[in-house]
Amino acid sequence: MADVVIDGRRLTPRQVAAVASGATVSLDPAALRRMLESAELFPQHIIREKWSMLVGGEAPADSAVAVRTFIEGHCAGVGEPLSEPVLRALMVCRANVLATGFSGARPEAVELLLAMLNAGVTPVVPSVGAVGVGGSIALAHVARVMCRYGGKVRRNGELVPLEEAMRGLPELVPTEKDALSLLNGSTLTTAMGALAVAGAHTLLDAAVAACALSYEVVRADLHCLAEGPLAARNHPGAVMVARRLRLLTDQSTLATLQRRPDSFSVRCAPHTLGAAYDTLHYVEEVVTRELNAAVDNPLVFADSREVLEGGNFHGAPVALVMDHLKAGLTQVGSMAERRLFRLTYGQLSGLPSFLVHGTGFNSGLMLAQYTAASLVSECKGLSHPASVDSVPTIQHHEDHISMGPIAASGALHLVDLLADVVAIELLCAAQGLDFRTGSEEAGRAGRGSRSIHAAVREIVPRWDADRVLHTDLRALGAAVRAGRFGPDAIQLAPVEPAVAGGV
Amino acid sequence: MQPIRLTGNDLTFADVAAVARSGCPVELAPDARERMSRTRAWVDGVVGGPQSMAVYGVNTGYGSLARVRIDDAHIAQLSWNLVRSHAAGVGPAVSPDAVRAMMLLRANALAKGASGVRPELVDTLCAMLRSDVVPVVPSRGSCGSSGDLAPLSHLGLVVFRGPDDEDAAESGEAWFAGARVPGATAMREAGIPRLVPAPKEGLGMINGAQLTCAIAALTVVDACEVVLASEIACAMSFEGLLAVTRALHPGVHALRPYRGAVQTAANLRRLLEGSTLVDALPDKVQDAYSLRCTPQVVGAARDGIRFAAEQIAIELNAVTDNPVILLDAQAGPEGENKAFSAGLFHGEPVGLAADHLKLCVSEVGAISERRIYRLTTGNLSARLPPLLAERDGLRLGLMMPQVSAAALVGHNRQLAYPASADSIPTCEDQEDHVAMSTTAARRAAEVVDNTRQIVAIELLAATKALWARLSDDPGAKLGIGTRVALAVVEERLGGRRTAAAPADDIEKLVELVREGALTRAVQDAVGPLAGVIDG
Repeated sequence: MADVVIDGRRLTPRQVAAVASGATVSLDPAALRRMLESAELFPQHIIREKWSMLVGGEAPADSAVAVRTFIEGHCAGVGEPLSEPVLRALMVCRANVLATGFSGARPEAVELLLAMLNAGVTPVVPSVGAVGVGGSIALAHVARVMCRYGGKVRRNGELVPLEEAMRGLPELVPTEKDALSLLNGSTLTTAMGALAVAGAHTLLDAAVAACALSYEVVRADLHCLAEGPLAARNHPGAVMVARRLRLLTDQSTLATLQRRPDSFSVRCAPHTLGAAYDTLHYVEEVVTRELNAAVDNPLVFADSREVLEGGNFHGAPVALVMDHLKAGLTQVGSMAERRLFRLTYGQLSGLPSFLVHGTGFNSGLMLAQYTAASLVSECKGLSHPASVDSVPTIQHHEDHISMGPIAASGALHLVDLLADVVAIELLCAAQGLDFRTGSEEAGRAGRGSRSIHAAVREIVPRWDADRVLHTDLRALGAAVRAGRFGPDAIQLAPVEPAVAGGV
Repeated sequence: MQPIRLTGNDLTFADVAAVARSGCPVELAPDARERMSRTRAWVDGVVGGPQSMAVYGVNTGYGSLARVRIDDAHIAQLSWNLVRSHAAGVGPAVSPDAVRAMMLLRANALAKGASGVRPELVDTLCAMLRSDVVPVVPSRGSCGSSGDLAPLSHLGLVVFRGPDDEDAAESGEAWFAGARVPGATAMREAGIPRLVPAPKEGLGMINGAQLTCAIAALTVVDACEVVLASEIACAMSFEGLLAVTRALHPGVHALRPYRGAVQTAANLRRLLEGSTLVDALPDKVQDAYSLRCTPQVVGAARDGIRFAAEQIAIELNAVTDNPVILLDAQAGPEGENKAFSAGLFHGEPVGLAADHLKLCVSEVGAISERRIYRLTTGNLSARLPPLLAERDGLRLGLMMPQVSAAALVGHNRQLAYPASADSIPTCEDQEDHVAMSTTAARRAAEVVDNTRQIVAIELLAATKALWARLSDDPGAKLGIGTRVALAVVEERLGGRRTAAAPADDIEKLVELVREGALTRAVQDAVGPLAGVIDG
């Protein structure tokens, strides 16, 4: 059985991410039946009927010529190819759109998409040049390969000739309705949006872990996590983050209840991380709805036997939330950078400058903070919203566009940049904790913090003398992206007898 | 190819492009070598000498750690520690041509003889350029102040080795002979010895915004080509849309004499000389802005690009180090200390220039897209076929390429957001205002890439428009410049036909512009057009 079964109703961003990284997919039999019902009702010559509206002039008499012209003519776009994971996400998302049963596409199209995914075959599609409405350029490049008209194609990452890649896969002789359904909609935006959502979960979970570790190092006053004030404000994300931080720092002798309010990057962490989680949950709701939405046009309603035109393809809903997600995540990164700035700042942390003995001779983690600052700054630029822009296209016909692909690819890029910022906070905080728990100070970190620290130390050794910093950053960045610091990966140390001053 | 001699004073944009992209060899000029040796001797005197003088970066810690004095025995290790701990880049690698440009610019800055490093260090960089040993430099993570520390440290990992060991695991990575290998392997196979850093050489290697400047310089070169190509495409659109050329009249531009506008108008007039398609509609008095105001818009972009280029040209031949050693300076109250701590490494001048450059080039793309829209829109195109579809109905025409151009404009608008406007304090508040210039330069390069693609789409659209005009009126004559441009485009497309998938044609025309073949062929026919920058 396949790893993921699509039925047009229940696809989640996490499943999309799983397929993007190689999971297999199959079509639910009930969805297949729904598709067959609506395919029967669909206008046979939809493309030639729409020709005069879209192109003006006479449509070709031959249906097969019209189909081929239509698909190939949509293959614009420029620039570097989309990455393999994005392509796989695009394909499974489009298959799921068709599986909703409102498109009127035949199951053959979905079956071929899934067969290609399961065989590791992905078309090469330019990354730039889609605006997130109507006929999708990226989908056209996929359809061109599906119909074996031409184009470049990869199998398991290697460029191979088209015929060889498609050998043994089902053949698709596309009808006009297949062609239209394969192309219509802002699925590229949704696919990248789903990957951004999945990546943002991994990122924020690791950001909470890094924050807990920093709490230990700065000996945070844990009053900022107290339930009362947070409940009195009652944002669910902040309440949840504070609960998680309390658990991770439970039984710490470093981060304790004191009367010494910390700086904002420490004291207000539950509020910014929490706001980001709230944002993410809202964004995920929209993206998940869109993943299982009929974003095609026209749509077929088998029950009432109607075919109706609308504007379901417009990318605005996902474009807007992608811009929102970027802002939410950037402020998390921005605050993480301020915390790790404190950690590396001798006069603020009370630890050796840049967290190394023999400073001067060693520069320690000095540059790690620069790198974090640069990455955060880059995120600020990326956070500039894409969806506020629009450029009229296609002869006044598509006179307002969503710029969704730019918003979503920006969000995906931003998630990637911030993984390294979180990795740097983990690196600095683990190093700082070594000072706090070492021979000079015999502090003890919380039940979860100890596990986070151990995980960092499995990946990078303590910084006793200068070495190549890039090596550590690369290894920790990869671990953050792989979910090594998610709540499931963090073991809580057993509860020990209460210590005076502990939580 | 004649080697370029590095003097610290004479490097041009053309030199940077030749070394970065065409493998032109480089060597240190004899007088520069002599200058370097003299300042080097002074540094050697500080370390081994009788006077116990603290000189930043020679026998102190770095950044806010300048307060820490390092004893002479540990000075080589100090430099090696600096390079390793500062190799803090992340993300995908910088393109090899930009890394080569960065190496060249660093070598030229050192050739100025104010950094106090040995001539051997420049010789090593020149040898690496000659053998094409290109260090792998991660693109992300530099603040551009104090310079591109992390990117240059990744170069330093390959150039240097530790005083006590040669640990290949700590030698970074390099591309050599088509493979990505450890830096030590690349250097060994190329026969170039890695150097144990002499005092100050760690800092001398890494302090300065050379990655910013390398990317910015190559971007200036590319931007000049793209702007000129956009004027050629615009001239073709003038004909395709049967435009009025009165807006290009020199008398008009003399009344508002911006240099760029005057140049753009002159270029368009020259390209359109002899055309029977422009000024052909007796009742038409003026055109839409995307045609009529091209001199104002592209001209203003030219002025901005020229300003940016002037700034970047200064940086090509600048010392960007700290401290600088001024042997001839008055001794002053500090006695024999010839080292002056200052802020020449700060990336701001280049970062601001790069931000301005990308804003200017994005406008060149934006107005080009509006002309593509007119060419493909039935009621705006003076009766060209809607979407420029073939009249046999077997093509969708350029419906989707126009959409792609619109997307590129949207992307450029995002990238135009200024990176220099941001700053985040670093290094225990010692470096409390940073440039973010590297990000500005990287984004400028992206904007120019995107704009090249928009211009390629306009070339395709204008070409199809001219085909339609010529088929309607086989006796029509094109301008002396546009007729050559059309021929060059047709040659690249393989005749008077387009591919089924427009992406295939666009890709060919992007390459045509990138190679400079379009502007070369047109200027061979009509003589030199006004360039964007001088020289």
